[in-house]
Amino acid sequence: MQKELKIIKLTASLLLLLMTTGCWNSRELKDLAIVLGVGLDKPRQSAKNILVTAQIFRPASIQSPGAQGSGGSGGVQDYENIQNTGSTLFDTLRGFTHKLSSKPYFPHIEVLIFGRALAEEGLQKYIDFFVRDPETRLGVKVLIAQNKAGDIFKETPFLGTIPAEDIEKIIKAQEATSKTCTVNLEQFITRLMSKTTSPIAPLVELTGEGEKKRVRVAGTAVFKKDKLAGQLDGTETRGLLWVIDEIKSGIITVKCPDEKSTAELEIIRAQSKITPEIDGDNIRFRVSIKEEGNIGTESGSDNLVLLPAIEALEKAEAAVIQSEVMAAVTKAQKLDTDIFGFGEIIHQRSPALWKDLENKWDDIFPNIEVEVSVQAKLRRSGRIGPPVSPPKE
Amino acid sequence: MYRLISRKLRFLQLLNRSSSEENGRKILLPTNLSDSLAENITMIKKILGQNFDFVIREFELGSSEQNRGALIFLSGMTDKNMINESILKPLMHERRFNIKNENSEFANMEMVKMSMLSVGEVDEVIAIDEVVDGCLSGSTVLLIDGAAKALVLSTPGWQTRSVEEPTTESVVRGPREGFTESLLTNTTLLRRKLKNPGLILETMSIGRQTRTKVCTAYIKEIANPCLIEEIRYRLSKISTDSILESGYIEQYIEDNPFSIFTQVGNSEKPDAVAAKLLEGRAAILVDGTPVVLTVPMLFLEGFQSAEDYYSRPYLVNLIRFLRFLAFFLSILGPATYVALTTFHQELIPTTLLLTMVSAQSGVPFPAVGEALIMGITFEILREAGIRLPRPVGQAISIVGALVIGQSAVSAGLVGAPMVIVVGITAVSSFVVPVHVDSGSILRLIFTILAGFIGGFGIMIGVVGTLIHLASLRSFGTPYLSPLAPLSVADLKDSLIKVSIWAMLTRPRTIGWHNTQRQDLRIESEKSPEEIEEHQK
Repeated sequence: MQKELKIIKLTASLLLLLMTTGCWNSRELKDLAIVLGVGLDKPRQSAKNILVTAQIFRPASIQSPGAQGSGGSGGVQDYENIQNTGSTLFDTLRGFTHKLSSKPYFPHIEVLIFGRALAEEGLQKYIDFFVRDPETRLGVKVLIAQNKAGDIFKETPFLGTIPAEDIEKIIKAQEATSKTCTVNLEQFITRLMSKTTSPIAPLVELTGEGEKKRVRVAGTAVFKKDKLAGQLDGTETRGLLWVIDEIKSGIITVKCPDEKSTAELEIIRAQSKITPEIDGDNIRFRVSIKEEGNIGTESGSDNLVLLPAIEALEKAEAAVIQSEVMAAVTKAQKLDTDIFGFGEIIHQRSPALWKDLENKWDDIFPNIEVEVSVQAKLRRSGRIGPPVSPPKE
Repeated sequence: MYRLISRKLRFLQLLNRSSSEENGRKILLPTNLSDSLAENITMIKKILGQNFDFVIREFELGSSEQNRGALIFLSGMTDKNMINESILKPLMHERRFNIKNENSEFANMEMVKMSMLSVGEVDEVIAIDEVVDGCLSGSTVLLIDGAAKALVLSTPGWQTRSVEEPTTESVVRGPREGFTESLLTNTTLLRRKLKNPGLILETMSIGRQTRTKVCTAYIKEIANPCLIEEIRYRLSKISTDSILESGYIEQYIEDNPFSIFTQVGNSEKPDAVAAKLLEGRAAILVDGTPVVLTVPMLFLEGFQSAEDYYSRPYLVNLIRFLRFLAFFLSILGPATYVALTTFHQELIPTTLLLTMVSAQSGVPFPAVGEALIMGITFEILREAGIRLPRPVGQAISIVGALVIGQSAVSAGLVGAPMVIVVGITAVSSFVVPVHVDSGSILRLIFTILAGFIGGFGIMIGVVGTLIHLASLRSFGTPYLSPLAPLSVADLKDSLIKVSIWAMLTRPRTIGWHNTQRQDLRIESEKSPEEIEEHQK
């Protein structure tokens, strides 16, 4: 009897314990306002408050799985861009509940876009929320809009129905050309927190007329501390990517040895190694890049698969890469923004030395010598060796 | 309130006291047979006379009028031919002896038994209840005037089902014999698999009213004597009215009746039972049911099937892995779905989440409610499917599955993903037939826990179940062995199954005192010279 009583008491208390949690933290799927993208802007040039645009998922219809398919493809909008103005970020975001049926739900956020005006003013005060809040994710892609962030969310998606997803895919697809950088929140704040390295982010703009607007990546935005300082165009961005070892793929156009036609070489892989050399006040960086590629296409009729031709192409390729890197270095030095992370490299190699240098880095950086040595190799020539052309006389 | 409880307790006490007096067999009458045939017949008629199938055949032994005898049997239970040919014929036509000798009583019974009856099994009894018992078991009882003994001649001749493939355990490859309801047929089937003098079959009668014959089978050198002792002890302690099926015995002898997991295995196939006996287990055969119990049972046995041993190990291992996967899917499927969609939406990939939101947005119930409704619907369909008469069954199962599922989604009662999850869960629960019952209950518990506290709930449930499983024992063997406590040598047949030539030892926890199954070394019997010669 004692044992049974004990068991009954134990079971009863366990059950009660279970009930006391009362479905704490339970949220039904239909109560979620899933935020897919957030854009921050200044409402007017001189405004002190911010305008937040959130792209929120709205299920297309109730049921009938046959008719609508997944999420309602075929012209039905299943998202909505909701805007709210407020003086501080968190307050504004919470304020969405005035316009929505529930609190916004952030874990599925895909893109975070800052408007240009806001970026020029400084992003420090807006970044904190996205890092501190447990719901937001550090893998969000950070973008800077050429004008207003809210406009970017109005694009017409190519695949699927939701612009935010589409934008994120566009950014990822830039790997194929490597003329843009890809930055997620974690990388952005790592650069932001460094004393000397400048954050970078892709610059996006809306192109197209009328109903069909598309997003285009217009370059890379370069920050000084947390303020937008300048931008790099495609070539300069690729130069930057060569140095920081983030080239995934791309096309390099070189002139053929016969000076008349061009060959386009595809980058397969690349590796870069940066070595600092410090002697006294003279700071030099050696960047050695190793690249491997294929012959993608040639417009002439020479057989490029002969050893001398290949060597010439490789040299030409190396020259192109070098010029891209130097362009990036020049621009960076002009803007006085250490986008390559050179400062951090010295910091890692010789911390004692860095103690002296770090405060003067803004002055030192424009005067740094950068020596680029490129080793380019061509591995394959595609399906054919000699080009398809009528035989030579 | 107090009076009610005290009344109940007193009633229970009385019940206990009365049942402890009788154990197994109830004694009908304390009397023995008498010398006079007429008296014996009267006594027996008093007990069995009312039955229409009760037959008393009186006859004269030999030539003398005074040598009277009687045959008592229940027609329908006995083999008429045998009675006529083997018992009546020799007794009635034999003219050899004269009864009223000095030592007549013993002489004629002995002589009858030894030289007149051509029946294989003969038993001499003195008590009335043994006579009645014999009749009820399909034997014929021979009474002779002047003898205070009776001969019980075994002449069973009732209808039994023929040996056919068991419907619940069909295999692609392997023998298709299944046990039947007759104990003798079953023991024969077992004997044919194990032509081993060490195979021991012990019987006892259990159940006051039904007096069912229960037989324990084991192999003498291989089985653990403590196990057999324990089985005997537990069977002897059963004190009940009826044993109609082996399930009754199972529920009486299991270690932990409050656990949802079965601790006593069962099978309908002789080859499976024979294999288990060879591992050191014992089998309990019950007259009247084709389901044979095997003890002890381990959790992992549910994932093994007889077919695994008849095929090569490669596909078998994949399928075994599939069984584990299906089991976990069937238990944790709905719970995980509920937990993810209610508490942990950040874990779902974005595209999938958006689809799920669209699907679930029109549903009025919370995810837990949906899961429970679908689960209950499925259980109803399953149960109805078992009981439906065959011609109706086909149509209704199709109706049930397609129409109900589709309509429920269209009507907005449940979301499409939930139907898929529950469907897959339900189907995969049948991949491991042994654990269907416990699986269903676990599924329910996990779903409710998940609905309350999400992932935590599932984790609590899983840990609780693991603790319970690890502490469970089946006749002394830990339920989760060989995984816990770990016995590496026995892992060769747990999650994976190694080839049969690598199965060198029996499971340690069961057949521990005779573990060597086959030669541990592969030795050539021929000497090196002979091999060379052979190769030439």
